[in-house]
Amino acid sequence: MAIKILSVDDSRTIRLIVGKAFRPYDVTLLEAANGEEGLAVAAREKPELIFLDVTMPVMDGVTMLTKLKEDPALKAIPVIMLTAESGRENVLQIARLGVRDYLVKPFKEEQIVEKAGRCVTLEKRPVATPA
Amino acid sequence: MPASPDINQFKEIALRYGIAPTPESVVRLTQLIARQHCCVDEIVRVIEQEPGLSARLLRVANPRASDESEYTVGTVDEALMRNGIGCALLLAMGTPLSLALIKTFQTMLSLKLESVDVHQLDALEGEHMRCSIGFSGKVAGHVYLRMSSKVARAIAAGILGLDAAELGNEEVRDAAGELLNIMTGNFKSNLCDAGLDCKLRPPKVGTTDDVSTPVEPGGGLERLAFRTGDLQIFVEVTANPWSD
Repeated sequence: MAIKILSVDDSRTIRLIVGKAFRPYDVTLLEAANGEEGLAVAAREKPELIFLDVTMPVMDGVTMLTKLKEDPALKAIPVIMLTAESGRENVLQIARLGVRDYLVKPFKEEQIVEKAGRCVTLEKRPVATPA
Repeated sequence: MPASPDINQFKEIALRYGIAPTPESVVRLTQLIARQHCCVDEIVRVIEQEPGLSARLLRVANPRASDESEYTVGTVDEALMRNGIGCALLLAMGTPLSLALIKTFQTMLSLKLESVDVHQLDALEGEHMRCSIGFSGKVAGHVYLRMSSKVARAIAAGILGLDAAELGNEEVRDAAGELLNIMTGNFKSNLCDAGLDCKLRPPKVGTTDDVSTPVEPGGGLERLAFRTGDLQIFVEVTANPWSD
């Protein structure tokens, strides 16, 4: 069964790149454009992994991460921060909340897959057989 | 003086996650300048230890000179007297901003972007894409990213791995905005690490034929230019390090 990965980023460009990176793998990519949407999708779909941006409108990534960790049903989902912000205070605050990994933008698609592979088992997408 | 537990903890986390810390010279210089009534001699010493920064400061202090032999301002000390210490902050912050843009091109587009003197490029004329992000807090200002619409489309196509003709205008704008986001995220991290806490406002992306840049009250303006092949990109930073 396909693994569900949620990409929470206000940039459609980043969500497209994340989607492209996992195209060869048996992954269903879920998307959200801010923390509020991200929490709703996470609660509904229970993804196996979340990629999370920090600066977003409506609800930022730190607030979403805080709420995620307060929710017994969601707190075990591994989160990888995917952000351009690597300032000391930000990183310390996020690390204290509990994240599996941190990937600073800009990044290569291979890095996303490599970091994800440390959290979940990625399998190649089955090749479609002609009818 | 021993490092604080937070700094040690950050170093450990940064190592674990592969996060590059802010260059020490940028932190030191920013901290000195942020004091406003700081010792100029100390600033001169820090700048003189950075050959690239010294060269750029002298270049800015000699705007009419075509090369070093024509410089009338020949030392860092004189250059600071002429341009003010806020100029040194902009130049110092311009370095990580440039590095972030160059790294983004290298990483996401496999293109080697070259930093060049702004006068070496053809000036933007007519309608072009302008992206801007404002920041406010202990330091206030804006970062602008400008490029022709054709260049913006080519960059979006490269980042997304798609044909330029397949892209809609919204995808081009979003990619340009994200490029600026990546650069300014790095920029903001450097400012915060140096004690100039600030917050970024959401980016604005659009087209304009206005090439003028409003300078932050009490601040200065730094112009940066880049090229790779026939792609030309312009970045402007205006900041007031004593806004609060």
